[in-house]
Amino acid sequence: MIRVVTLDSFDDKQLAKLNRTLYTAFGVGSEHSGTADVPAGLSEPLDAEKLVDQVKGIRSYQDDKVLLLTLRKLKERELPSGMAPTQGFARFGKDRAVLSVHPHKDLEAGYKAIARHALHQLGHLWELHHCLDPRCSMYPPWTPSFAQGEPIFCTFCREKSEQKIRLAKS
Amino acid sequence: MPEGSASLQLAVGDRVVYPNQGVCRVSAIDVKEVAGQKLTFVTMRREEDGAVVMVPQGKVVSIGVRKVATAEDVERIFEFLRSDSDKADLDWKQRARTNLDRMTQGGILGMAEVVKGLQVLSELRPLPTKERELYDNARHLLVMEVAAALGTAEVNAEDAIDIVLFPPGRERPKRTAAEFQRDEDELGLDGDLMGLDGDLDLPPDEEAPAESSEEEAPEEGEEAEAEEGEEAAPKKRGRPPKAKAEAPAGGEAPAPKKRGRPPKPKPEATAAAGGEPPAPKKRGRPPKPKPPEAEGAAPAAPKKRGRPPKAKPPESE
Repeated sequence: MIRVVTLDSFDDKQLAKLNRTLYTAFGVGSEHSGTADVPAGLSEPLDAEKLVDQVKGIRSYQDDKVLLLTLRKLKERELPSGMAPTQGFARFGKDRAVLSVHPHKDLEAGYKAIARHALHQLGHLWELHHCLDPRCSMYPPWTPSFAQGEPIFCTFCREKSEQKIRLAKS
Repeated sequence: MPEGSASLQLAVGDRVVYPNQGVCRVSAIDVKEVAGQKLTFVTMRREEDGAVVMVPQGKVVSIGVRKVATAEDVERIFEFLRSDSDKADLDWKQRARTNLDRMTQGGILGMAEVVKGLQVLSELRPLPTKERELYDNARHLLVMEVAAALGTAEVNAEDAIDIVLFPPGRERPKRTAAEFQRDEDELGLDGDLMGLDGDLDLPPDEEAPAESSEEEAPEEGEEAEAEEGEEAAPKKRGRPPKAKAEAPAGGEAPAPKKRGRPPKPKPEATAAAGGEPPAPKKRGRPPKPKPPEAEGAAPAAPKKRGRPPKAKPPESE
């Protein structure tokens, strides 16, 4: 089950549309599971890693994947090979990811790009790596063509995610 | 000390890399009796999923177990990945063999070479399924080792690799087969001599379907070859035709030599008389010669399938 938890206020219809897209892409249920507060001490731009680790008050079952959705900007990550543009972050193979709608003002404004990012981060939660196919949502998200693509997976990533979902313990 | 383990001293708690398996932690080194022999076993637990493997200490080096790469090694990997390489082996058999060796014995640089090589190749055409799986596997092992070496999260390790492979704000270039042949040309080798001729040598089950329409014709049999012989021969793979020593001066250039069985010579009489061309030869088994029948005789009843009917006993009245 995919649980979308909002850290800011979003329109319910837009959230329902996002949930439908996630359901179509992964083949598992997706729902809006309430809201949570940004931990005290974190200011904009938010540190994505700390945010994922420190958000409290989220109820989920084993093998549920939680997607935190925020309007606020995330801080770029400094990596050994350079700065990584960060619109989202996910712990590989774990259960929590965060996605920022920024620079769009809401979900509807940049729906395709946001949905593609959501698929990308949830894909990391299901142990998908970056893909070579520019049409796939697992393509590196900082490439110029990423935002123009559809929120879909390539055959390889789709099959791999389905396999991971099937092998889930619960 | 058993032979072969001199260069790798392991202790409980060390992090090692088991080829094709990933980062493991040594959980025990103990002596066990197996088939009457006392052997020292190194027990390793894979960090990713906790799978346990026991290896005799004498085999640890020979199977390729090594220590996790250092931060300096990772920096060299980034340098290697950053280099603008267009080297990719177009021969799939050679490529598969090389990649297998790199994965088992190449260390972290070998995995990086597999990832880089297949990524460059994917800029020419989509990878076949097996190579896509290999790419994913190599990428996974590389990401895990880089994450272990730098002490960072796997996603950060992957992004660090991909920032180098896919620089932000830039699209991946489209490549052509000619670019891959450049190195061989520079070495003074003829592209045709290598059997490439501007096209990829793909596994037989993964040939691009678009190419098949042109290339199926020569494989259809002798007839097709014979018919094609008079037309302009399509571009062929493989070796180029050898230059004939005694080329007729001023004459027509000889047709390029074809692979396979040469076409049968056409009967001269038909060609010279300008008669109708012979009907195209049918494929398959030739029809059986019909038995001579008397004209006007009724055609024989069709032969029934199955067991012939039993001969009826002569009825006696």
